[in-house]
Amino acid sequence: MPPRISTSRLTQPQTCECFRSRSRKSPSTPAPSTRQFHATARHGTRLRRNMWEWFQGPGRVFREPLPGSTNYLSAYDKQGNLLRARRNQQEDPEDQDELDQDEDAIVQRELDQGLDDVERENRAIDRATKRSAREEIEERGGIPPERQGDMRPYPLNQSFKSQPVLSEDLREQLYVQVVHYRHDVSSVAATFGVDIRRVAAVVRLKTIEKQWEEEGKQLAKPYAKAVLNMLPTTPFKPETSKPITPHEPINDLPVHPRTRQQIFYPTSESRQFTREDAAKVFDSKLLPADQRIPLPMLVDLERWKLQGLGREERQKKQREMDDAARTAIETAARKKAAWEASALRTVPGRRWDFKFEDISAEKVGKDGRGRQAVGYRYGMPHEDRKRGMVKIPTSVE
Amino acid sequence: MPRKFHGLKKPKVRQDWSKETLYNLSRLVTPPASRKTFFQQKWLAKSMTRAYHNPYVREGQWTRMFDRRLPAVVSMNHQYLARHDGSEQASGRGSGVEESPMARFDGERGQENRIDKTPYMHMTYHPLERRLDTAIWRALFASSVKQARQLVVHGWVKVNGKKMIYPGYQLNPGDMFQVDPERVMYATGARKRKKTSPVSDQDLRAEREADEQGSRVAKSREEQELEEQSEVEDEESEAGAATLESDEELEVMGTKPEDEQDAKKAMKNLLARAKRILEDSKRKLSGKRLQELRAFTQSLRKTMSKHGSKTESSQADEGSIEDLEVALAEIMTKIPEDSASTEATSTQQAKASADAINKSANPQMQDPEKTDEYVARKDAELLHAALERARANPVDPTKPYATPWKPREFMSAFAFIPRYLEVNQNICSAVYLRHPVARPGLAEVPTPFHSETMALAFNWYLRRR
Repeated sequence: MPPRISTSRLTQPQTCECFRSRSRKSPSTPAPSTRQFHATARHGTRLRRNMWEWFQGPGRVFREPLPGSTNYLSAYDKQGNLLRARRNQQEDPEDQDELDQDEDAIVQRELDQGLDDVERENRAIDRATKRSAREEIEERGGIPPERQGDMRPYPLNQSFKSQPVLSEDLREQLYVQVVHYRHDVSSVAATFGVDIRRVAAVVRLKTIEKQWEEEGKQLAKPYAKAVLNMLPTTPFKPETSKPITPHEPINDLPVHPRTRQQIFYPTSESRQFTREDAAKVFDSKLLPADQRIPLPMLVDLERWKLQGLGREERQKKQREMDDAARTAIETAARKKAAWEASALRTVPGRRWDFKFEDISAEKVGKDGRGRQAVGYRYGMPHEDRKRGMVKIPTSVE
Repeated sequence: MPRKFHGLKKPKVRQDWSKETLYNLSRLVTPPASRKTFFQQKWLAKSMTRAYHNPYVREGQWTRMFDRRLPAVVSMNHQYLARHDGSEQASGRGSGVEESPMARFDGERGQENRIDKTPYMHMTYHPLERRLDTAIWRALFASSVKQARQLVVHGWVKVNGKKMIYPGYQLNPGDMFQVDPERVMYATGARKRKKTSPVSDQDLRAEREADEQGSRVAKSREEQELEEQSEVEDEESEAGAATLESDEELEVMGTKPEDEQDAKKAMKNLLARAKRILEDSKRKLSGKRLQELRAFTQSLRKTMSKHGSKTESSQADEGSIEDLEVALAEIMTKIPEDSASTEATSTQQAKASADAINKSANPQMQDPEKTDEYVARKDAELLHAALERARANPVDPTKPYATPWKPREFMSAFAFIPRYLEVNQNICSAVYLRHPVARPGLAEVPTPFHSETMALAFNWYLRRR
């Protein structure tokens, strides 16, 4: 007896027609499109179909950016619903009314109520802050601001999140502070909570931008606007109660390789064992943390404040320290110039200057290949001119 | 280089903004380890992570770049450093003073204060982040590392002002790299459908979807808008105050990103505003100004119809927008004069009130004459701003990307800039500030994988396997 196959398991309806003359097309499924490679055509494999289904459903939200907000994978659930849009808080309607009113009218009313100047000023700042917050929400189209969990572009990676970048206003402000008001880069960094290197970079980039504007070069304005809309930004709101938002931690201490080991160091119980001593234990040349951070100035200032010094005294001390640092740099530069004048002999050539300097032949060491010695690679052929050897520069001046 | 770069059967997450990557990212899981040997686990982790972290760098090259010493920082509190000299850590008998549980409790978070672990394993691929091509992609100047690489090779990238043609150039802290803005707009913008037309696939799809799904909604919205407009017009005869609100609404609509990208819609807004100016200032403006405004409206309408037919050449289009700009600038210069003169005739303290008008944000409290002038001027300003925007992002079929410029689809899901770069988008330049580091709770090398996978990959490259 032949094996019995239930009709439901057969893909083709059973007919007596020969399979050669039978039409291949089954009546239930329509014919596949001839242009399967096209993006909008029907897709052959199940995997492709699933992908397109995902893009029709949960993946649809990622096509276009959310206005005034980030749009990362972790901000949505499996069905493509915005997680933070679930809870929506209502504001006080009275407050809203007040914000809508004219500033002059409110001031007049407050005067009538007999409030003093300080109180009125506080209230004005409060109103400005609320207004800017409301504007922000309106810009976002009523969606609440992102939470920490919404900032992860990669759902599996818990320890990476998209961190804010400087907004255009803040960049402009940093540039103005450094270039127009001639403030110290490190003090600007401390005030605005931005890394020193970042402040310097912002000034450098802004200078080029201004130069381009002067030259009439085309800037990528639409690109900049679109990108900054997609990214979280650190704002600068000069009129509000909290104008400065700290951008990043400014006193980062690099983990020194010498401090990676665990050391058992017995010492007497009565000893005042400080950070400095601990650094000495790890390495005899290692400095303590208060001197290795980028802005040690802040620690000194705080220390003076704890000692109970007045504002003037502190400023005076700081000025003294700044002067001392400047003189040290100047002295070093002078010393170097003096050394160059005495030890270097310069012979100007047509295109280059030739500089001659006395060297010590002892530096080569026992094997004749000391790293600091002249002719370090003597006897080893350079391979970088060989065929197929790519010589990538290691630095660009 | 694998042949199936964007395959779905063995899904790989790549360094690009493609839809396949997004889809693979959405279904990426940490592979189960229960039935695999340790070697298999490491192999799988290595192959997964290397498929993301620059597969264009050959494996041998990468193993030479690999460094088991991973960089990290700890952010210090200067107030703490000033208050303590470190000896407090050793105070007490044995292993330091016992801290009371209340001191460790953080009231804001409602849980015990604990120091996050430093995710060292996520820093496995940190040497690759130094490469020029990767940095360009991370700065959002290209849609994939492959494209960034091509930009470099084709000579569109400068490092510290000098042309750099090696994608493998290792950036040093403080290096500035610049990419040609036109190339960046091409790399990150919506792609053109045809060479001759500025329209992109994205626009067409958006239109089609709008037609399919939201046709009814759109219709009803249009009707509503019409009704609102008519209402506003009725109200105008009574008090001019209501118009400002509707104008502000219009302004809000105009500043929505999807609208401003669409030159046609921007034009429509302009037209509506010009109409408003006309209607509001009929009483107060002189006849000559009125004529000018009317002519302006007509020219606007003409450009609009041109946009509709889509047959114009690029030069004509640019020219028309510029003409409009000039015309508006002329009108702008004349409107304040007009309003000032009318004020002088109507009231005695002309200048004082003009100042007051300038300052006041909401003209509800003032009499209707001033309101009209205020509205007229404000509208002119809005018009000017809208034109400025249209000029900054014009429709131009000669460009290699779809115009008006629009970010390519799915860009927003990948848009982030790590902290070791400082980017200025206006000039498409960035500075490589420092090498990426790990800090407690945060790794700066962006990688889509779980720390478990990264640890396995790190172990693979430790050589003793």
